[in-house]
Amino acid sequence: MSNIALEVRDLCAGYGDRQILKNVSFTVSPDDFFAIIGPSGAGKSTLIRCVNRLVEPTGGSVRLNGEEILDIGQRALRLARRNIGMIFQEFNLIERLSVLDNVLAGRLGHTGTTRSLFRMFRREDIAQALTLLDRVGLTDHVHKRADRLSGGQRQRVGIARALMQNPRLLLVDEPTSALDPKIAREVMGLIREVARERRIPVLCNIHDVKLALDFCSHIIGLQDGVKKFEGRPADLNEKAMHDIYALEVL
Amino acid sequence: MHAKPSSDAAVIDDVEVTTLLEDGERAVAGDALAPPRTLRWRKWKRDLVWAGLIGLVVWSIDRLDIPLDRLPGILGRMGETLMTRYFPPDIARITQRDYLGSVFETLEMAYLATVVGIVLAIPLAWFASANMSPSKRILYPLSRLAIMACRSVHEMIWTILAVSILGFGMLPGVLALTLFCVGFAGKLFAEAIEAIDQGPVDAMRATGANPLQTFVYAVLPQVRVAWTGTSIYTWDVVFRAATVVGFFGAGGMGWYLRESMQRIASQEVAAIILSIIIVVLIAELFSSWLRGRIARAIA
Repeated sequence: MSNIALEVRDLCAGYGDRQILKNVSFTVSPDDFFAIIGPSGAGKSTLIRCVNRLVEPTGGSVRLNGEEILDIGQRALRLARRNIGMIFQEFNLIERLSVLDNVLAGRLGHTGTTRSLFRMFRREDIAQALTLLDRVGLTDHVHKRADRLSGGQRQRVGIARALMQNPRLLLVDEPTSALDPKIAREVMGLIREVARERRIPVLCNIHDVKLALDFCSHIIGLQDGVKKFEGRPADLNEKAMHDIYALEVL
Repeated sequence: MHAKPSSDAAVIDDVEVTTLLEDGERAVAGDALAPPRTLRWRKWKRDLVWAGLIGLVVWSIDRLDIPLDRLPGILGRMGETLMTRYFPPDIARITQRDYLGSVFETLEMAYLATVVGIVLAIPLAWFASANMSPSKRILYPLSRLAIMACRSVHEMIWTILAVSILGFGMLPGVLALTLFCVGFAGKLFAEAIEAIDQGPVDAMRATGANPLQTFVYAVLPQVRVAWTGTSIYTWDVVFRAATVVGFFGAGGMGWYLRESMQRIASQEVAAIILSIIIVVLIAELFSSWLRGRIARAIA
């Protein structure tokens, strides 16, 4: 196996004349935890969403384990998405379903349509969901409805749902902005731990630079759709910070 | 990153907006940024629209030759006619077995049409929702057209058409009411889908779920309560229509209404109209009670 998990080349995105991403390139190895930082409106969220095509890029290339994702049809895209777990800012749980069903929903790509209509998930999937819920510390809440949980607990459900896919890449979109600072650190720590255990590379966009420095192995700085910085947390000096945040009016 | 208006301009705008608010004008976000001259012109336009609307009323009364001088006595004459010709209502007629049977037939027609209509409306609403339609190019316009077609023809016209094709009986009534139900529920269902939170949809798509799975997991749980309420409401509206479809040759209570009217048996007509008002009222009360209960139970 090659040592490159995700390869993004000259990625562009935008609507009409408005360019949101301008030729962004980087590569992620299996052990990397990438943080994407930058001012709001820099295109961080668009970048993450272009990788699994929740936002359609306008050009460039995204390769996951060597396989191109941008020029494939809808069916192949669904197969590719099965390998990419995603964790959201607003958790995006199905409020009216139980915690267990929410985690099992991570398995939809692997479950036949008829089975999923009647929520008849496979025995081994249910066993895995319970194991994951135990791992994220929600054993006592398995049968509660998702909307009965606190923010931190909900994000744990979101993490378990993403892991349920047995992903080969984790996309994480501002996982902590809806959480208070203490819970935010717990959630970031949990994401780092589970990713290490399973050797899943992570691409995480985050506006909190402190969290990025503390939890991530690599940092990408975006400004107005352009990559301004890439390197280790230790390399993120004052000049680099100025480059990334120069345009932001304080 | 939009440009800030200079501070004194903002003050002038504030003054303008306040005066307009005193006039009962609705303040929109755009108003605050518009220069005072535009605001004054808007006020003018509003007055013009009102003048136009009132002028149209006067013109219509004139065109239609509505004899305003006969209006004052109209209530008295109506009361007189009702008392002499329609009073007392022939209650015995509406307690006869065949008529009571027709009340149940009307209920059954409405129920059948609502169930079938809703089953048809669910996929149509999915296809016709701007945010979730699985096929923007083909299914979306087609299903929108189907819902619009059902709505644009009045349920009584559907009945007349169905009777002229299928003949008298229950079938044309159920068919006409079903079409009405598809249009009515289909539109409301689609609007409920368009109002959902897109987050769970993104989450389901990101797992590799197909469009049907995404619909069942991300959309249905979000619209379930709204759809249940809409369905009960639809039944009650369909039932109200069902009491009349018989008048045009389909089955149910309306059939008896027509028959009595043709015999000019006014006291029977009075009793039947009375019974229609009562059952529709009961259906409406029942429907709103049930909607309240269900909303509380599954919210």
